[in-house]
Amino acid sequence: MNRWLTAGAVVAIFVFVVVHLSFFEVGQTDMVLITELGDPQRVISDPGLHAKLPLLQNAIVFDRRLLDFESSPEEVILGDQRRLKVDSFARYRITNPLQYYQAVGPSEDAIHARLDSVVTSSLRRVLGSETLLDVLSNQRTRIMASIQKQVNGEMAGFGVDVIDVRLRRADLPAENTQAILQRMQSERDRVARQARAEGAEAAARIKADADRQRTVILADAGATANTRRGEGEAQAIAIYANAFGRDPAFFATWRTLQAYRESLSSGHDHLILSPDNDFLRLLQGPK
Amino acid sequence: MPSDQNPWTSGGNGSGRPPTGPAPVPPWGGPPRRLPPPELHHLWNLLRRLLNGGPRVLAALFIGAVAIWLATGFFRVQPDEQGLVLRFGAYNRSAPPGLNYCLPYPFESVLLLPVTRINRVEIGFRSENDEDQPVPRSPTGMSTPESDQPERDLSEESLMLTGDENIVDINVAVFWRISNAYAYAFNTRNPAYTVKSAAESVLRQVIGHTLIQSALTEGRAAIEEAVTTGTQKILDQYGTGVEITQVQLQKVDPPPEVIESFRDVQRANTDADRARNEAQAYANDIVPRARGDAAAVVAQAEGQKAAAIANATGEAQRFLDVYEAYAQAKDVTLKRLYIETMQDVLSHADVTVVDDKLRNLLPVLPLGGNGRAPAEAPR
Repeated sequence: MNRWLTAGAVVAIFVFVVVHLSFFEVGQTDMVLITELGDPQRVISDPGLHAKLPLLQNAIVFDRRLLDFESSPEEVILGDQRRLKVDSFARYRITNPLQYYQAVGPSEDAIHARLDSVVTSSLRRVLGSETLLDVLSNQRTRIMASIQKQVNGEMAGFGVDVIDVRLRRADLPAENTQAILQRMQSERDRVARQARAEGAEAAARIKADADRQRTVILADAGATANTRRGEGEAQAIAIYANAFGRDPAFFATWRTLQAYRESLSSGHDHLILSPDNDFLRLLQGPK
Repeated sequence: MPSDQNPWTSGGNGSGRPPTGPAPVPPWGGPPRRLPPPELHHLWNLLRRLLNGGPRVLAALFIGAVAIWLATGFFRVQPDEQGLVLRFGAYNRSAPPGLNYCLPYPFESVLLLPVTRINRVEIGFRSENDEDQPVPRSPTGMSTPESDQPERDLSEESLMLTGDENIVDINVAVFWRISNAYAYAFNTRNPAYTVKSAAESVLRQVIGHTLIQSALTEGRAAIEEAVTTGTQKILDQYGTGVEITQVQLQKVDPPPEVIESFRDVQRANTDADRARNEAQAYANDIVPRARGDAAAVVAQAEGQKAAAIANATGEAQRFLDVYEAYAQAKDVTLKRLYIETMQDVLSHADVTVVDDKLRNLLPVLPLGGNGRAPAEAPR
């Protein structure tokens, strides 16, 4: 009994080890390169359970997904001699694990180092013939497409397909930034001064116009008033003339008498009269 | 990421939960085993007896172990999740929310993704309760895509060049969710970080051809729209299985160094408006007053006109009345008027009568009594 048990256990362990060494999983996101004593044999790209010769064959796993890569920020000189700090990222996919493995080995750092130098030199080349305004404008899409094409061409021998290279940041270096800030500030100061001056201008206009209106209104009123007075006097004269014209002689007499009465009635007047005076004539007796 | 791996544990980024399948055999290669303690000794005797109990007991033990092993295949998918079942690492089927079953380790494993959760990526700032990126939890030992997001200087991230070579300080929050769990899990590495990279790139591109004044004021909605569609386009091109639900411009300001100047422009506009308003107030004050004064002057003149006419009319009428009476008896009336007037006048005045014939006499005149010159007598 014990002997059977021992034998069974030994067989089970042996089977387990063999199975463990001959079967392997290829994940949904993976590709596997099978090497036999270091010699590449085949690439397995459909996920699931696969078999290999135990011990002799080795499975090297590669990522089948779209991979990300970020280049370090670079200062490049543009076609218009301006400096730009550029920060980019790329997305690539391993298309040929064998080529990839032969070119850079299994490590991701190696391919990233390659990508970094290729992307940097391509950035310098492409941006070197563009102006800052192009980089800022809609031309950016075209620029990025041409960088991607160059990078993809240069990386073709590495078994990778560079899907996209995008500029993330494109900023001016710190000293230019300072100049821009100063320009922004002076420009804002100009706008502020202009706004204040325009406000003062408008205020002066409005006030002057109001003063003008006042002067005109008052002058018009003076004119109207004088016209009215004149009309009144004219009508009065007409009325007088019409009435007094009936008998001018009588009017003169009547009006004179009235004037005597009014001007000589103060009680302090001295009159020196001749007895020939019509009123005093009778003082000398009737004639 | 190519690497030599134990084929029975796929992935290998190391952030997955410990497997809940059958526990791995503990490494019992420690110091050489001595005599077991008394309790273990009893246990050992029990095991010995069971093993000697014949094939029935062995079969029962075996069936029990298999049943427990099969039962580890049950798993629960939360209502906000979707499960992806992998058979030997290959995608096999998706699992809806609720209780599900998959074959136990090592045949199948499950990847759970929070598909309804709205995630947020911040550009240019970090809010205090920085929600971690969605790391799919994995109950069966499958490791998951991980986001190792490098920390950056935020002002470097938020300051960007505008189309007229000015600089703006922008904070953006991008909201996204998993629209396709399969694509999200299997197509790209670090999809969550890809959202941020793509959004940042598009944001800077959009700002790069926006003028600063437009970005600061009315252009915000257009920028949000352009960033949403541009980012979505890139993510679709990459096949990330991510949908951008919203892009929010949290802050669009001039850079801190010059913000005071921008505020001064606003103040200047306010000042200008105030100057205009004050001038308008002055105008509104003096013009109506002038109109009032003018009306007063005209009214006064019209009053004078009416008075002149009325006076004239009254005097004329009086004269006419007198004249009509006079016309009845001209001589007598004239004389009477004259005499009455003289009487009235002379009764109020000092009268001196001087005869021409008495020219040599010293006239006795009370001259200078009150300083008034004697009036000339009417002739």
